[in-house]
Amino acid sequence: MLILQIVILCLLVAALVLWGLYYPYPSPLIRRWLPPRKRWPEKQIRTWLKDGAFQRAFLRHFYRDPERVAPPGNSILAPADGLVTSADMRGEIRYLVIALSFWDMHVQRSPVSGRVLKVESHGDDFMDGEGREFAFLREKTCPVQKRLVVATNAGQVAVRLITSLAARRIETWVREGEEIERGQRIGRILLGSTVVLELPAATKLLVRTGDRVWAGQTAVAEGLTAP
Amino acid sequence: MNGFFWTCGHLGWGIFALAVFTGLWWLLTDLYWRLKSIGFRRLLVMMAAGWIIGVGLILLGFYGLNG
Repeated sequence: MLILQIVILCLLVAALVLWGLYYPYPSPLIRRWLPPRKRWPEKQIRTWLKDGAFQRAFLRHFYRDPERVAPPGNSILAPADGLVTSADMRGEIRYLVIALSFWDMHVQRSPVSGRVLKVESHGDDFMDGEGREFAFLREKTCPVQKRLVVATNAGQVAVRLITSLAARRIETWVREGEEIERGQRIGRILLGSTVVLELPAATKLLVRTGDRVWAGQTAVAEGLTAP
Repeated sequence: MNGFFWTCGHLGWGIFALAVFTGLWWLLTDLYWRLKSIGFRRLLVMMAAGWIIGVGLILLGFYGLNG
């Protein structure tokens, strides 16, 4: 009986030591019961960014790539998971800015079916607030980004994958001249950043600033029809 | 003899229950604090109240059964 008691007390002490080692962040024993934002607090992720070492469980969560089912019809889909932070017109283009956080799924999907016209690289800097004040359109001190232009029967749509201070790598999985489907995977930004959808002015937005959208699943605009 | 601290060659059930309860209560409070957005002072009050109730029940159980 004494041995059983000692074993139970040792297990309890081990759990408390783990708690102390990981404090103020959650210990591995309780992590599984917490939602992602509490499982890996932003402060902890920022320390990993500095050190270059990440928890394996976080990376598994970060690299997830779930299947998505596009809604029927011809609506334009969200290219990324995230929060709509801006939906403004500049000239003849409507820009839908989607901000991704560390906990969002980071695979981007095509908003429309069509042919990839261009895969351009722009920018010269890694910065925070890349979606604010339309920093991604500046000539100088513009965040490093890739712009994919997709030609459809009814005009062109572009998707910008934009880096940030934390997100410094972009992978694009489509090439110029390739035919792509609505909702097809087009690339990935490594760690949180911004995705901007450029639409013709004639399109009608179905989402507003502050809405949450899901890549390849949320219809964000309609009205892209052949003349 | 059924003592609080020591009983027939092993730890007394009273002190054992107290140690296990205190450890688990600490870990449970931590989990609750992370799941709910709760003020630190309120958390401390809840933690202390829960612990006092738990210890009271253990003492009541121990001395009630052995009383």
